[in-house]
Formats: sequence, structure tokens, C-alpha cells
Amino acid sequence: MDRTETDFEPTIVAMVCNWCTYTAADLAGTARMIQSPNVRLIRMMCTGMVDPKYVIKALLSGADAVLISGCHPGDCHYINGNYKARRRVKLLQEILPRFGIEQERLKLTWIGASDGNEFAATINELTKRIKELGPSAAKSTMVI
Amino acid sequence: MANRIGVYVCHCGTNIAGKVDVETVATYASGLKNVAVARDYKFMCSDPGQETIIRDIRKLGLTRVVVASCSPRLHEKTFQNACLRAGLNPFLFQMTCIREHCSWVIEDRDEATKKAEHLVAAAVNRVNHHQELYSRKEKVHPDVMVVGAGIAGIQAALDISKAGFNVHLVERGPSIGGHMAQFDKTFPTLDCAACISTPKMVAVSQERRINLLTYSEVEKVTGFVGNYTVTVKRKPRYVNENLCTGCGLCMEKCPKKVPSEFDEGIGKRKAIYRNSPQSVPNKPVIDVENCTFFRKGKCRVCEKNCPSGAIDFTQQETELVLDVGSIILATGFDTLDPTPLITYGFGRYPEVYTGLQFERINNAVGPTGGKIVMKNGKAPDSVAIVHCVGSRDVNHHPYCSRVCCMYALKYDHLIKDKIGHHVKVYNFYIDMRCFGKGYEEFYRRVQEEGVTFVRGRPAEITDQAKTPQEEGKLVVVCEDTLLGRTLRVPVDMVVLCTAMEPRKDTAQVARVFGVSQGTDKFFLEEHPKLGPVSTATDGIFLAGACQGPKDIPDAVSHAAGAACQALAMAARGEVTISPTTSWINPDICVGCRICVGLCPYSAIEFDERRHIAVVNEAMCKGCGSCAGYCPSGAAQIRHFTEKAVFAEIEGLLDPLHRIIPAAVVDDLWSSKMKQEA
Amino acid sequence: MATTAKIIVNDADPALAVREVLRKLLADQAIAAILVQRHTPGGGAVMPALIVDPELLNEADPLAPAFPLNSARLLGRLTRGQSQGMIAAVMRPCEIRAFVELAKLNQGSLDNVLLIGIDCPGAFTNRDYHAYCAAYGAQQVSREFLKAYLPGGVQVPEVEGAMPLARACRACEHPVAQAADCMIGLFGADPGKLITLVSQTAKGQAVISRMGLPEVETGTADNRISALSVAVTDRVRYRDAMFKETQAATDSLEKLGEYLSGCVNCYNCRVACPVCYCRECVFVTDVFDHDPWQFMSWAKKKGALKLPSDTLFFHLTRLAHMSTACIGCGQCSNACPNDVPVMELFRMTAAGVQDVFTYQAGRSPEEPPPLSVFQEHEFAEVTGHME
Repeated sequence: MDRTETDFEPTIVAMVCNWCTYTAADLAGTARMIQSPNVRLIRMMCTGMVDPKYVIKALLSGADAVLISGCHPGDCHYINGNYKARRRVKLLQEILPRFGIEQERLKLTWIGASDGNEFAATINELTKRIKELGPSAAKSTMVI
Repeated sequence: MANRIGVYVCHCGTNIAGKVDVETVATYASGLKNVAVARDYKFMCSDPGQETIIRDIRKLGLTRVVVASCSPRLHEKTFQNACLRAGLNPFLFQMTCIREHCSWVIEDRDEATKKAEHLVAAAVNRVNHHQELYSRKEKVHPDVMVVGAGIAGIQAALDISKAGFNVHLVERGPSIGGHMAQFDKTFPTLDCAACISTPKMVAVSQERRINLLTYSEVEKVTGFVGNYTVTVKRKPRYVNENLCTGCGLCMEKCPKKVPSEFDEGIGKRKAIYRNSPQSVPNKPVIDVENCTFFRKGKCRVCEKNCPSGAIDFTQQETELVLDVGSIILATGFDTLDPTPLITYGFGRYPEVYTGLQFERINNAVGPTGGKIVMKNGKAPDSVAIVHCVGSRDVNHHPYCSRVCCMYALKYDHLIKDKIGHHVKVYNFYIDMRCFGKGYEEFYRRVQEEGVTFVRGRPAEITDQAKTPQEEGKLVVVCEDTLLGRTLRVPVDMVVLCTAMEPRKDTAQVARVFGVSQGTDKFFLEEHPKLGPVSTATDGIFLAGACQGPKDIPDAVSHAAGAACQALAMAARGEVTISPTTSWINPDICVGCRICVGLCPYSAIEFDERRHIAVVNEAMCKGCGSCAGYCPSGAAQIRHFTEKAVFAEIEGLLDPLHRIIPAAVVDDLWSSKMKQEA
Repeated sequence: MATTAKIIVNDADPALAVREVLRKLLADQAIAAILVQRHTPGGGAVMPALIVDPELLNEADPLAPAFPLNSARLLGRLTRGQSQGMIAAVMRPCEIRAFVELAKLNQGSLDNVLLIGIDCPGAFTNRDYHAYCAAYGAQQVSREFLKAYLPGGVQVPEVEGAMPLARACRACEHPVAQAADCMIGLFGADPGKLITLVSQTAKGQAVISRMGLPEVETGTADNRISALSVAVTDRVRYRDAMFKETQAATDSLEKLGEYLSGCVNCYNCRVACPVCYCRECVFVTDVFDHDPWQFMSWAKKKGALKLPSDTLFFHLTRLAHMSTACIGCGQCSNACPNDVPVMELFRMTAAGVQDVFTYQAGRSPEEPPPLSVFQEHEFAEVTGHME
């Protein structure tokens, strides 16, 4: 497979919290901040509801990366869901790279409701980084 | 039986259609598994748009609906209601955002169209797994709490009590009135602040429906919309409010003098004090930090002199637990401390004042009795007023504080009016922003009074004279950006129009009430345009400058708006609670209790008999802390079930096409429609 | 201070001596029953039994080098809910550690249980044990085992000519369970002559003093500690080599697919796993009950789909769910019908995961499972030190 940077368009699944990052994405849209088209959002109520299974599912189903994004520490709409998400991501980042799924393919970040710029920048940077990294190996395996 | 899904792709005029090929998306959607009909339309949110959905649900027997349009944060309710009107459970609907997340942010038309297709496929895939859910109704406690008794809090409390509902008005300070009580005149009408605010303050104290709790702070908030339980900490005044007559003898006799916060440090107060003779409540309070008795164990002069025996050194902090239906936050603002802007010399040069200090100098009951005088007692011959100190400044606050231009103009006028027309008044401004009703007219009037306006942010204020005229003066060094020339303006007095900024403890307060802060760190409203008084937490509203800089009329209107929101809830008496709570499958739960510990709302109980965890749906807010852990999937959030999320992920990555060609199904349905017609 | 009590071994049969101790224990008013592995009638296997009649302790044999299942879950069942009296459970350290994990997950209670561990020389795989028994007889295997694997009182993992132990045992760095109330000491002495009973908690201490066993001579306890440490060093070496080998064999998804190629999604590994505590694994719920068109769509996308599907998904998810609690007993590999080396995969991942959370499964009932707690300031690197 040709893994050159130019013709590879990654697909990135983002699981984002309704209160902060989804709102920031709306704001980035309202402000017409141009973004790479590679990231697709799944609206969750809180990053604390992101089950590690969802991440594994997305990666095995062909996502080149998964972005989880919620409220900044202390700002969680549900008090502390983001801290729980952080532990779960830490766990996955310890497990998945052992099997060739690069750690960068799972990113956790905090983007507040008013951080439209930050949202657009995160999307663009992540897309760029995953383009450099190339397609996920999960795409080419027939074992899922 | 297979689902029959209707997909509706909105053009949003050209907002979506300008970048996304909506017809292609609709055609693509019509080929997706279980899709019975897919249409595109100019404005889905319009009446005819909604009617189309309703007609299709009825005529085509749709069991699920997907709308691809703007953010669900805008119109999810609109379309859910349309479904409901057609007899379809509103939770059998899914909305996907192809405007904010797609057409508005993607440059390439093909890419935008492709992304829209994937988003639609994900929504279609997901909606297959939606379940009928029914919202719950909960009673609303009719009482309202207002936190902060500045002009916004006062207005909100009065409006609510006027409607016949009870208000608990909690104020941290010893008396109410907030910043407005410190002002002398108000722009642009120049009526005296006290004359318009004192009647309101008195009305608060006399209104039996308002439970005024001064010198009190909210410690803890639990519960949910309509049913909050608030713990209020009442600090001891050391003055029995029931016995005190407000005669003021204690303050007169108190031997300890300290700088007055109310006078912004330029006047003095005693260790037992009240802000002003118009204070509400008009009862003093003992400042433990400075009271000689509390510090050294003897003095008690106030106690000896009190004719009514109201001094009580044994008072203790008490706790009050109140049930309310909604809460209005009106916690106000702080003003920026200009000391760190060292080039302006605040704190170094005695004749550099902040706006609020100047306000006190002007005030009839202020430290100078309302005379504009310098520290040496003489009136200044020239005054510089520096706008935007800490505002519109990337190093401090990028935002505009919105009131400084106008109060600067007010000072211009007051100086000319009180001292005389010979006084030279210089304004150093970036832009004059006089947008309110009567503001521009006031600006013109002040210009006509002979005030000088220099367009430029001063670089420095110095006492280093370069010419004899500058001797003994403060020199404002500034580039006049209109003339393109550096000026040195010698003056007697400088007033810094310091920025309005969020209260120092905003983050802490935000945590107590479960609300968010914006980038500017003020409390964040639910929507910048359409939800300026509500927050993301149901039943918690914002009033006044705690949401962002506001002048008095804006703060008052904002507060009235918040009061109206709280009243709407209280008057209706019930709220609809989202059914998207957690549910723990009793057949799968193994009773490990981890979810019980992870739940931030203590909404999960453990049933010892059945050895399983059980969700108390009244307390569950559907955050999914339990579901995100539960390895067996026994705990799941309704509407965010594993099946639905998996389906959404798959839809984003591998759209599922139906096996029977679309054309065949279309034929089937067009013949059915003909029959019905 | 821990007591090390002396148990004299007669007829060079330590199992006999252990039985005597158990008989004494059962005579203790405080103990209602003993959970211990026992030769099944006919001698075909050893299985745990809940024994209340001292006569029936005759067939009890906690020293048999067999490990048909991890009895932690059984003990969990026995200790849930209202107490039926104190159970003395004689278990391998890995069973005790698994039980500690289960107790944290409310799947058992430490309240009415006396955990008696045994210095663990390891055990054979189920298959090897059966072969051995068929050739020599179960009782004979038990008698000869310690001679071969603890010659001179010091454990040697591989004696020339002896059958190798299960890989999980050879890589196990926990021959002693820290959370046990007392340990039956085998290491550092000749178990044909002398074994010990070492208290590790106040509860264990009390039981030993009630039994009135004599203290050991000075030096015996030290010998045990140094023998254990030699064994641990040796096993750690074996373990690290195993991790390396496993890592090399699974460091890409493709290789992991090959590694798991024998997997038939029977989920026996998860059934045998003592810490996989779900009543119903999510992989057997309707969440994974896919429709025909889903399979077809995946096949279309990839050109070919390995069936049964969700094999990688299952193992990765099980790693995410249980690697924090994995105690390394190796029952997963024991249970696999197709010899997929599941234990190696789990052990390797669990070592990394538990390290990250500075957690050790089964070490102490006081340590909360890593995903059941969180802190405001931690793992800042996950978000690139963003506040």
C-alpha cells in the first residue's frame, strides 16, 4: 500500500462532550474556522461515558485515530467525568501501542465551550500528525 | 420488522447548500439501509419543512427520522417536537450537524459533501437503535434563590417577589447594593446613584417575600432542576440584628480605624462599621481581623456604648439549609488592580486614582464629602482620564469593559461642573464607544463642554519634569495617533478607567453551582445570543456583570430576564426531566459496586438483597460515569447505549447500504402513496 | 512480629503433616469449614472441596501439583452475603491474590475467611498432570513432586528429566501471597522432615497460637526467605524472557492476529479467568449479536473477514477490562482448547498496566482498583500537560 503523506486522507473519529468540545466545534463553525474534513464528531454527554470499548471499536473498524475531548479540569459539567476519562485513556495508551497501534492514534484533550480556535487548531494538527503517521494497521487486517 | 427511516437534508438557504451538494447527500441517504425516504429542502426548520416530516411520518409510516442540518444545540427540540406532533416518539429522532461541523468549515465542495454523507450515514445507522423514551415530570419548588445583592440581584429578587414568589437573597457582604452603592452619579442622565438605588434597597428589606441573608455565602448545592438544596453559611456579625437600632454610636466610639473597602481605601472606617448611612440592613458588623477585642482580648468599647445591648461577641457561624427550585447567580464583578501596570504609577504617585476611587471622591457621603480635591485638599487644575486600563489589552483582558467610555464622560462633566470650566480635562482613549440610549448625545454634550480628547493609549505617567511647566505635575506621555505626534501632558490628577473583570473566586463559585466559565473567565451563558441568561445547568440562571461587563441598564434588563426564567419555572410548577438517564440491567449487573463509587451524584444505590446496583433516576443526570466503567455493559445510558454508539461509529466508517436496490423500494412506496392519495 | 511455627513431617510425607494441621484447624471452634483441594474418588483429579467432616480430610492434598481451576471465584460464592461461619481456605498464592481482587469488586468477603497460602513451587498444566497421574498414580505424583521440585529444600525450577511446570508458574514472581493470613512454608527446608506455618496477619497469628504449635529454631525462617528470594530471581528472569518473546510475537496487529489465530471465540479463557467477574460477558450480550448484513458489509470492506469475528476486539477489550486485575495464574491458557498462549499476552500487558497505575493485583485489600478511583492532578502527560 502506498503510504505517502499526500494521497492518504485519514478518518478520525472524535468522541466529544456535549457541553464543552461539541459547543466549541459549533463555535468554530459559526466563526467559519476552516478545518480538515477528516474528523467526524460523535456527540457524547460527557467524556466520562466513553467506554474503552468505543475506542477499540473505532480503531478496529478503520478509524486512523480517535480523539476524545471534554471540559478542562474543574469545568466538567458532571463534576469529574473528565478525570475518569483520563484514567481510561491512560489505560488504553498503555495497552494499544504494544500491539502496533501507535499511542498518537488515541488523543485526549480538553477544549472548553468557548475555545473555538483551539478546536479548529486541534483538528488540523491531529489530522496533519496522522497523515504523517500513515494509515492505521487495523485497516488492512481481516481479523477484527 | 425493519425500521422505516426518513432522512431530511437541509440547505439552510446557502449556508449548507453553498458548500455541500445536498441533493447528492439525499440521494446517497436514500440508498442506505432501512431508509424509506430521503429529501432535501431549503429550510427544514421552517413550517413547510417540519410539515414535510410530519406528512411523511403519517403517510409513509416512518418509524425513525434523521435531520441533517445545523447543530442539534439549535434545532434538536424543533424537530423532536415535529416528530411528537406526528405521533412519533421524539427520541426516535437523530440530528446530525452538517453546517457548523461541515459546510462552514470545509473549503472543498467534494470533501464537504463526502463528510456530510458520512455524518448522515452515522445518524441513520444510529437511529436504528434508538428506543422510545418518555420524559419525566418533576415538581418545581416555588422558591428562588438569588446569589449576590448588587443592582442585578436586587432587581431579580424584587421582580420575583412582585410576582408572588418567595426569594432567598444571599449577599456575601454586610450590606446590599453592590458597586452601584459606591457610585455618585450615573451616566448619561446624571441622576444620583443613591437616589435611584436606595429605594430598591429599602424595598428589598421591606418585602416580606424576600428573605435577605447578608454576610452569608453559599457553601453547597445539591439536587437538580426544580429541586435544589442549598447550604448557606451565615457569618457572625457580632451584632444582634434584632436588637440593633442602627444608631451608630458603636462606630463613633470604636477606637480602631482601618482603610475602608467601600471607599476603595481612600477613606477610613472603624473596626465595627457599615458601608454608609444608607446601608441596608443598616446594622454594623464587627471586623474580626481588626477588632481590638478579638485581637487582644480587651476593649469592648462598642459593647459598653451600645444603648440597646446589641453587641454579642459570642455569636457563632451558623448553617442554613434551603430548598429552592432555581437559582440566579448575580455575583457581579471585580475591578482590575492597576498596580501591576507599573508605567501608570498607581500606588506610586498619590494623585493617580482608579475609577472607583474617583467615584468615592465624588460621592456626597464619600471621604471628601463629594468635593473633587487632591490629597493636599486643593482642587486640581487639570485632570487626565485614561481609558481602557487593562481592557482591550492582550496582556490583560482582550475584551472591552463597555462602561469606561461612558463613566469617563461622566467624570469629564462632573469635574467641569463641580470645580469649574477652567479645569483642563484630557481623555486618552482608543475608540469612543457610546452605543447606548442617550450615550452619543451625552458624548456630544461633554465635547461641547470643552473637554479634550486625545486618541492614544498613554505610554507612561511620570513625575520627571522636562520643562518648568511640568514641575510638580504628573506628565502623561502619549502618542496622539490622529496627529502622529508624541505629547507630554502635565496634569494634577490622573484617573485610570480600570477594567471590569471576573470575581477572583469565580472558578470556585462556578464549581459550587456547577456552571462553566468562558474564555474571559466570566460565567458562561447557555448561548451567546439566544440563551444569555440561562446556563448549561438547568435551573441556574445568570444576572448582571457576572456574565460579562455590563452597565446598569444592561445589568437590570439581564436580571429581569433571569427573574422571568426563574418565574416561568416556578409558575408552571413542574419541569420536564430528560429520560436519558442511566439504567442498570438487573440481569447482567454482578454487584461490584464500582459504579456506586464513581457516580458524582450519589444516584446509584446498592440493593443488598438482590446484590445489584440500582439507579435513582431522579438524581441521575446521565453523565455515564457508570456506563463508561461497567465492563459487562449492565450500566448503560439511555439514548447512548452501546449498540447505538457502535452503530454510529460504524456508520462514520463503513456506511451500510441496503441490499435491495433503492429503485425497487421507491417504486413500492410511490405505488403505496398513490393508493393513499 | 510474625510467628513461624514448626510442623514436624513424619514418614517423609508433608501432605500428611498438612492434613494434621487442617484437622487441628477444623477442631478449632472458630472454623466452620475448610476449603482445600482434594483427590476426587478414583484419583483421577484434584478439585477443591468444602470439608466440614475431619474424616474426609484424608484425601485433601493441597500439595498436589495440579491446578485445575482457580478457586477464588468459588470462595467468593461461599463468602457472599450472610456469614455461614469462618472458612479456612487453603489456596495457592495466585488464588489468594485473585480472591483479594474479587473482594474489592464485592464478589466475596474477607470477613469470614482465613486465608492459608502455600509456598508455591508451581504446578503442571492440566494435560501434563493427567499424563503424570496416569503413569504414576496421583498420590505418588504428589509425594515425588516436592522431592523433585524442592530438592534439598531449595526450589529448582527445572530438574533434568522432570516435566516442565506450567509457564505461568515458572514466570510467577509471587510464590507467597502477601494478603494471606498465614502461609504454609515449604521453601528453605526439607519438606520431607519439616514444614512451617507462618503468620502474616493478626488473624493468622491468633489461629496459630490457638493451635499451640511450637516455634521453629532460629535460622529456619531466614532459610525460607533466602530460598524464596532465589526462586523469585529465577522466575523473574524467566518472566522477562517470556515478556520479550511475547512482545516480539505481538507487536503489530497483524502479528497479534496470527498469535490469536487458533482462537475460536469460545471465551473459555474468560470463563476460567478468576478475576473476569462479570455475570455475563458483554461479548455474549446482544451488543455483539450482529446482523447478517453487518458481516457482509465488513467482508466487503476488507475483502475477507475472519470468522468468527471480533476476536481481536474480544481480546483487546478483555485486556482493557481485566489487565489491572490480572494475577497471572495462567488458567486462561489452561482453559484454551487450541493452545493459544493467552496467559503470556495477559501477563505481559498486565505488568505494564499495573506498573502505570502503581498497582499490584491481589497485593492488598486496601488498594482500590485503578479504574474505580481518580485524582484531580495525575497523568498530566495524557493531555500533553494541558490544564
